[in-house]
Amino acid sequence: MTPAALARRIAIALLAALVIACVLIALAGASPVQALLAMAAGAFGSTQAIGAGLDRSAPYLLAGIGVALCFRAGIINIGAEGQIALGGLGATMAALSFRPGNAAEAITVALLAGALGGAAWAGLAALLHLGRGVHEVLATLLSNFVALLLVQLMLAGPLGEPGAGFLQSPPLPRAARLPLWQSIDAHPSFALGAVLAVAASILLRRTRFGFGLRVLGASRPAARYAGFREKWLVAAAMLIAGALAGLGGAVEVLGQRHRLVEGFSLGFGFRAVTVALLALLHPLATIPAALFVGFLETGAQAMQRQMGVPSALMLMLEAVTVLAVLAAARSER
Amino acid sequence: MSMDLLNAALRIASPLMLAAFGGVLSERAGVFAVGLEGMMLAGAFGAAIGSALGGGVVPGLLTAAACGAAIGLVVALVAVRARADHMVTGLAVNILAYGATSYGLRLAPSDLPTLAPLAPVGIPVLDAIPIVGPLFAQPPLTWLTALVGIIVAVFLRRTSGGLTLRATGENPEAVRAAGGWPRTVRVRAVIACGLLAGLGGAVLAWQVGRFTDNMTGGRGYLALASLIVGRWHPAGAALACIGFGLAEAFEYRLEASGVGANPYLMQMLPYLVALAVLGLVGRSARMPAAIGKPLA
Repeated sequence: MTPAALARRIAIALLAALVIACVLIALAGASPVQALLAMAAGAFGSTQAIGAGLDRSAPYLLAGIGVALCFRAGIINIGAEGQIALGGLGATMAALSFRPGNAAEAITVALLAGALGGAAWAGLAALLHLGRGVHEVLATLLSNFVALLLVQLMLAGPLGEPGAGFLQSPPLPRAARLPLWQSIDAHPSFALGAVLAVAASILLRRTRFGFGLRVLGASRPAARYAGFREKWLVAAAMLIAGALAGLGGAVEVLGQRHRLVEGFSLGFGFRAVTVALLALLHPLATIPAALFVGFLETGAQAMQRQMGVPSALMLMLEAVTVLAVLAAARSER
Repeated sequence: MSMDLLNAALRIASPLMLAAFGGVLSERAGVFAVGLEGMMLAGAFGAAIGSALGGGVVPGLLTAAACGAAIGLVVALVAVRARADHMVTGLAVNILAYGATSYGLRLAPSDLPTLAPLAPVGIPVLDAIPIVGPLFAQPPLTWLTALVGIIVAVFLRRTSGGLTLRATGENPEAVRAAGGWPRTVRVRAVIACGLLAGLGGAVLAWQVGRFTDNMTGGRGYLALASLIVGRWHPAGAALACIGFGLAEAFEYRLEASGVGANPYLMQMLPYLVALAVLGLVGRSARMPAAIGKPLA
């Protein structure tokens, strides 16, 4: 299929999702036109709204790049949700325990700790997959649940804020919080993601390692025959994806929440998959894909506030979009 | 082991079992059953709506089966007909079911009647045996689960339809050469999978008494792990589900006795057990050869 034909199909898929959205909004008893206008205003209506959309897109972008790399190598890593959770946990622990005077140092350490947390969690799944032959989908899926509970366990125990009544950590020290860019009312999180998307694109297209990943995705026997070390490539791809997802969790905690909160990562894993698929697994294209998903979410939330249309609508739209893209992209092979 | 604990385990296991039986059909036909979670959730929602609107158990079960089968149909269209990745398709329909049921719950009247618990039905004579007697007095839906398990096992092993289904999961080209239609077999198997998993969701809804957002909470994934641990056999899958049921029943028992085990650690247990068992089973488990491979 030519890229143009593919783009046309994806446009049709998105249009189909839009039509379904209108029907569902009408079912909820609201006017689709007004609801979509409220959504657009909520997403792009002010500098503040645009900043919020950028910040929302950032963790999806960071995690989505990693998912795209893994999928390109034929590794179905569904573990972004857990890796994001552990990234948030790692960043919080670092931010709360190190108290260096200078902000650059504190943020760097916290971000690295987040990446490390995510990579470590992905590493465990990779170990189960490569060492014990557990299918990577099951290893990553099931470990997501463990990760979520692990964060709760920490918040109920050593990391929790005493007397808060919620499962949350104490607020992070100011030095460890991401700075706010006043002019666009956003944190530098999305910019970080965009830089890493470019880096991932170069990695995939211009390096021997990236070539190995692509060969692995096309045919595992071919990769073995060509002398690539299959296990090493799989492990490396999963660790990189884990680190990226962990960074996603870290920027969410350091930039948005300013503390670790129970369930802060809920649903992020699937959005990362959505971003990767919408981008047709091209790291550079994850940038617009993440913007689409992020602004769709901030828009849908505004629509819910103003029109009372349940925000579960967004979940359905995401799922329908993914299914339509899946069907559109693969059906001619 | 006390019969109470075993009964509790059976109760917890029966929704998982129905889903796992469906999953066995799907995976033996060559389609990964990652969508079990969404099929169960849709079924639970269908049970709540169907029994409220239709007034009773039978309409509830039928609606549940239909909702589960509808999710199965989506998987069939995208993964089998359009040849998309089975895993990602499954994941997407799980989110679709989550969104659609949450949305539907908010559109439904807020005073949906609760699902009245069903009284256990005993097998005469057997349920009067000392000690093991209580095992023979089970809620009707547990009996339904056992019946479905037997039907699926007999279908797979003793009928020509079952043979074709298994062959489709191992070598679809051979099925085609023998004059069969692998694609049709897969589509039907996935829809049947949705139907059974939907019934599993209905059992769960009846146990809880009503539908709540995301009430399956990962049970579909445990059913998926069970059927792998059970090596794609209905009996093996059922045993694995009972194993998870025992772990969870034990967890509740421990909580109730106030031993003071960490609740989060206890909730992690089923997933850790699943990962550990999958790790132990490891490479010795041989999946259907053509699973996940799109048809030519």
